[in-house]
Amino acid sequence: MTTALLSLLLAARLAFAITVDEVLLQIDKNLTYEARDSSITMTVTKGSRVKSYKMRSYGRGQDEMAMEYLEPARDKGTKMLKKVDELWMYLPAIEKVQKLSGHLLRDDLMGSDMSYEDLMESSRWQKAYQGTIVAEEMMEGRKAWKIEMKARDTSVSYPTRIIWVDQASFIPVRQELYALQGMLLKTWLMQDIRKIEGREFPMKMVVEDQVQKGSRTEITFDRVSFQVALPEEVFSTRWLER
Amino acid sequence: MDLLVQLAARNLGRNRRRTILTVLTVAMGTGLLTVALSMLNGILVDALKFASAASGHVRIVDPDYARRDQLMPLAENMPDVATVVAAVEGQPGVLGAYAHIQAGVTGAREDQDIGENFSLLHGAPVAYYTEVLHLDDYVVSGRLPTARGEVAIGQTFAQELDVTVGGVVIVLGQTQDGSPSPARLQVVGVLDLGNKNVNRQSYVILEESQWMADIEGGATEVLVSTGDYARADKLAAQLRSLPATAAYDVAAWNERPPFDTLGSFLVAIRGIVAGIIVFITGLGVLNTMMMSVLERTNEIGVMRALGLTRRQTRELFFFEAITIAAIGGLVGVAGGGGAAFYLSRVGIHLGDAAAKAPAAVPIHETVYPHATLDTLVLAFFLGIAMAVVGGLLPAWRAANIEPVEAMRHRR
Repeated sequence: MTTALLSLLLAARLAFAITVDEVLLQIDKNLTYEARDSSITMTVTKGSRVKSYKMRSYGRGQDEMAMEYLEPARDKGTKMLKKVDELWMYLPAIEKVQKLSGHLLRDDLMGSDMSYEDLMESSRWQKAYQGTIVAEEMMEGRKAWKIEMKARDTSVSYPTRIIWVDQASFIPVRQELYALQGMLLKTWLMQDIRKIEGREFPMKMVVEDQVQKGSRTEITFDRVSFQVALPEEVFSTRWLER
Repeated sequence: MDLLVQLAARNLGRNRRRTILTVLTVAMGTGLLTVALSMLNGILVDALKFASAASGHVRIVDPDYARRDQLMPLAENMPDVATVVAAVEGQPGVLGAYAHIQAGVTGAREDQDIGENFSLLHGAPVAYYTEVLHLDDYVVSGRLPTARGEVAIGQTFAQELDVTVGGVVIVLGQTQDGSPSPARLQVVGVLDLGNKNVNRQSYVILEESQWMADIEGGATEVLVSTGDYARADKLAAQLRSLPATAAYDVAAWNERPPFDTLGSFLVAIRGIVAGIIVFITGLGVLNTMMMSVLERTNEIGVMRALGLTRRQTRELFFFEAITIAAIGGLVGVAGGGGAAFYLSRVGIHLGDAAAKAPAAVPIHETVYPHATLDTLVLAFFLGIAMAVVGGLLPAWRAANIEPVEAMRHRR
């Protein structure tokens, strides 16, 4: 009996030869760039209403991200800047840079199914969560590890995440985001994984609100480049006001 | 019967001190009841009148808005609101119809971070603010907004932002699609509506909120006011038959939450308050009447031996109780009515207790009791009820006394 149990444990250990921390670290690395310049189309569907936005987005390392809205006309010129734990927004209607704080960070990003906090918490999984590989499954046509992640503290937006990580690209092809009480809040898919300038990248993301049915956000990267020299100014509040 | 009435009157005069004490007990109970019922009138009925007018005696909205109105979904709006307003305004019984948009916003001074201070922003024609909400009566400094770029804010919100009239606030709301929608607004007025939650609201003209919500020419609701708010459901039925409202949800205030259950809640509260006072005062009457029966056991025995029936004995004590109740009730209604009238002029300050009342049905921090005729009549008859409750057991006991045993009773 004991021998059988030990054999089973050894088989499981061999099956998941990589540790969960290694997987999470690899995901964080994978979704973090020395420099990224991309053009994005975001389509938000709420029931029968569909609205599209075009943005240009820049990223640098884990902590810096800048974004400018190009369309529609009403939102043109709106800019966002994330630096570590802080988020600023330039609002062209009042020609003013405002730092966002408090409950406002939990608001939807441009009416989409992502919140400002979703932007803030990206690429920090290994630090914020403790994970367990619970299975190996096919997901979105790819062989994936199913990892159950519990937040190390309650300050994160989603105390539990269940993710399916593509074993080839280390991209989380599907995520299920849960509230503290265990209610499924959102699902987040990363699709159309392509090799761009030597690295795997999901060109499309689909976020669906599981509480408010019929609410869906598609983010398509029309263009992405990692080998760019981004001027220092892009990640400053001066850039927001320009 | 005349003999019994005479006997009852004579008995009341025999122990004047006890009679006066009993009358005072009933008078105090009735007086207390008058003040309590007037207070409830002042607090709840006034709050209800204000709230039903503020949210529309009749409200016309998109059916999807009606289903999720707690979330104030801007996307579920009425694009051509002017047509609906014009159709409704010509109807008999309609005092006014007003396009209205309300949305949650965060506010800050120009030098503050945004996201910590919240307000419910109303956008409506100025006439709605003056004719329905009578906001001009609550302006503590400045005035109401009359043009785009202007806002009047509640005192709590003004204190949180530390702004006064002439200051500028940045208000960040959302468009109907959820995009951030900011506005730089000059504070032209600060209001004190007597409730901290209501004082967290702010008011702009309709065009400003239409721009903010990106609903040009539209609104999320049409609020209809009528002269008699109690008959709003009849008006709602009338408005439902209009072609212009066919696609919309038309409901009177008392057909919508939270008001649909508030009427029975009010009746229950009045019943509980009245019940407690009647019970306590009834115990007081019971005490003195029972003492009277015990003291007069010997006398009752003699009267029973002389031919007074059980029924007549019961009636004798009932007459005494009713007489006490009538006198006590009149004194109580006069005293309580006077006190309620005085308090209706000076008001009762409830302080922070009222601040926690929801903005949907606001209770003002200073309340003014309303002593209406029906309140006085109700209090008087409840005073009679107190005496009946208190006199029932003693009368029953007196009627069941055996004459022989009663005459042996040592005084």
